[in-house]
Amino acid sequence: MKPVSILRHGFVGLVAVWSVFPFVWMAVAATNSSADVIKGRTLPGGYLIENIQAFMTAVDLPRVLWNSAIISGVGTVLTLTVSALAGYGFEMFRSRFRERVFAGLMLMLSIPFAALMIPLFVMMAKAKLINSYSAVILPMVASVFVIFYFRQATKAFPRELRDAAKIDGLSEWQIFAFVYVPVMRSTFAAATIIVFMANWNNYLWPLVVLQTNDKFTLTLAVASVGIGYTPDYGLIMVGAIAATLPTLLIFFLLQRRFVEGMLGAVK
Amino acid sequence: MSYLTLSKVSKSFGGHEVIKGVDLRVEQGEFTVFVGPSGCGKSTLLRMIAGLETITGGDVCIDGARVNDVDPSARGIAMVFQSYALYPHMTVAQNMGFALKYAGHSKAEIATRVGMAAQILGLDSLLARLPGQLSGGQRQRVAIGRTIVRDPKVFLFDEPLSNLDAELRVQMRIELARLHKRLGATVIYVTHDQVEAMTLADKIVVLRDGKIEQIGSPLDLYDRPVNMFVAGFLGSPKMNFLPAIVERGGLRLVDFPEVVLPLGVAQDLGARVSVGLRPELFGPSGEIELALTVDLTEYLGDETYVYVRLGGDQILTISTGNDRSVRAGDIFRPRFDPAAAHVFDADGLRLGTRPIASRLP
Repeated sequence: MKPVSILRHGFVGLVAVWSVFPFVWMAVAATNSSADVIKGRTLPGGYLIENIQAFMTAVDLPRVLWNSAIISGVGTVLTLTVSALAGYGFEMFRSRFRERVFAGLMLMLSIPFAALMIPLFVMMAKAKLINSYSAVILPMVASVFVIFYFRQATKAFPRELRDAAKIDGLSEWQIFAFVYVPVMRSTFAAATIIVFMANWNNYLWPLVVLQTNDKFTLTLAVASVGIGYTPDYGLIMVGAIAATLPTLLIFFLLQRRFVEGMLGAVK
Repeated sequence: MSYLTLSKVSKSFGGHEVIKGVDLRVEQGEFTVFVGPSGCGKSTLLRMIAGLETITGGDVCIDGARVNDVDPSARGIAMVFQSYALYPHMTVAQNMGFALKYAGHSKAEIATRVGMAAQILGLDSLLARLPGQLSGGQRQRVAIGRTIVRDPKVFLFDEPLSNLDAELRVQMRIELARLHKRLGATVIYVTHDQVEAMTLADKIVVLRDGKIEQIGSPLDLYDRPVNMFVAGFLGSPKMNFLPAIVERGGLRLVDFPEVVLPLGVAQDLGARVSVGLRPELFGPSGEIELALTVDLTEYLGDETYVYVRLGGDQILTISTGNDRSVRAGDIFRPRFDPAAAHVFDADGLRLGTRPIASRLP
């Protein structure tokens, strides 16, 4: 191998270790006792079954998994529907105000969520939605970032396809559903991963708006076992694995399309 | 088969007028070609007929019925796009039957009609494939098949051959001509390629800046262009334009002061005109002779083009037919018959000419 090639492989290897190590450590720590984890033990231990049992007693896993799945699943479907429609509309329809409205939307990206939290909470309280799934899902549905992403991706959508579909007798809604969505499936796949992960990992807003244990999401549940004077790290890591697996699963299922979507491929 | 009329059709984007009052009649079964340079509005006009662009003023009528406010799918038109616009997620058969499905036809009927169109176009064996698995020529055929299946009143083609390579383009051109003969359909075809226009059209419509410059049969336009724009646009290589001054004895060429063409035109003495000479007009015989120093020659095998640099950037192109004897740097003396020259006035409009019998020295 040439020296440059060795250097390049070395660098790539280093970055790979860097990014994979936390996952390895999470898996290893789940098999060790909390004391061993604190000591920095990096070899697998024999505490896995115990940790799982402890986690299952501390957390109603089926319940929180169900909560997370409903919130993330419904949230993702709604977000993609609304944002894709908005992105399609922004790109396909000409209007004098189009760019101004869009610029206004973009400006919203600069408002941190923390600043919106209290007004949103008040709003949810007035709508009597506190401690409901809707309270977690609704504020995330019209995501400015995802609208932006869809608009950018729609620029690569061949306009002649829309023209052809119009001549073939499709309404605008039908064009969206039967031509745009299938053609843009890579974009939808990438957006699904991004949105699903954001919803699944969401912590702050559910923490504020969900108040009883039976509504808690997995993220909240894992966090709740970590509080106290002596957190049990082995147990926490079991929870972390439980929280990570579904997103990994979705990613690997959609990986090929995700890469295409990020590269902006319309085939 | 249907006929189509445009009366005073116009289109503005914002305050900018891109189609400026077009009047046109396309007869039943006629193959009409819109030609013009890019940006002349030919595609916009086609899209207005299709219903893909709104019409700012005037009327578009198909079979005498005004269709300005009719949906594209209800106008009885079908269109082939430059990019073919095939649905990438559907098979060839699904692509071809898509419109019929939304028009509420039965599965059996769709299958019959798709089968018939596929047979006409030789697509039988490709019906189960996706567009991504087809070559450019095959995709083009599917796009045409999609229009045939609908049995439209008017076929619209928007530069359908411009994405194909040269060889395939010629082949598809012949196929299109054959297909038109077979179906006897009314066709409007947009292209910027004057060879396509000349070979396919029953009627050519030359457009410039959103206005019709001339309408006529291909040879009509070739032989009797109304202005310099049309004269320069049709014919390849394009017509040469030589500046000349009107004198009592004829037209004195500015670049060849010793040459006077014995042609009379209805212009004042001393007026400047342009003499249009097609490259293929030159030959070994003819009343007028030009003495030229050859700048460059191109040998195409069956034909040779000789290029001569005149004053300024102007280049005179001469086709010598199959005479390959001319070399760069040679003194070349081609001749031509002045009666075959076109003369245009200072505004570029074609002037009538009459021969002048005796030449003054």
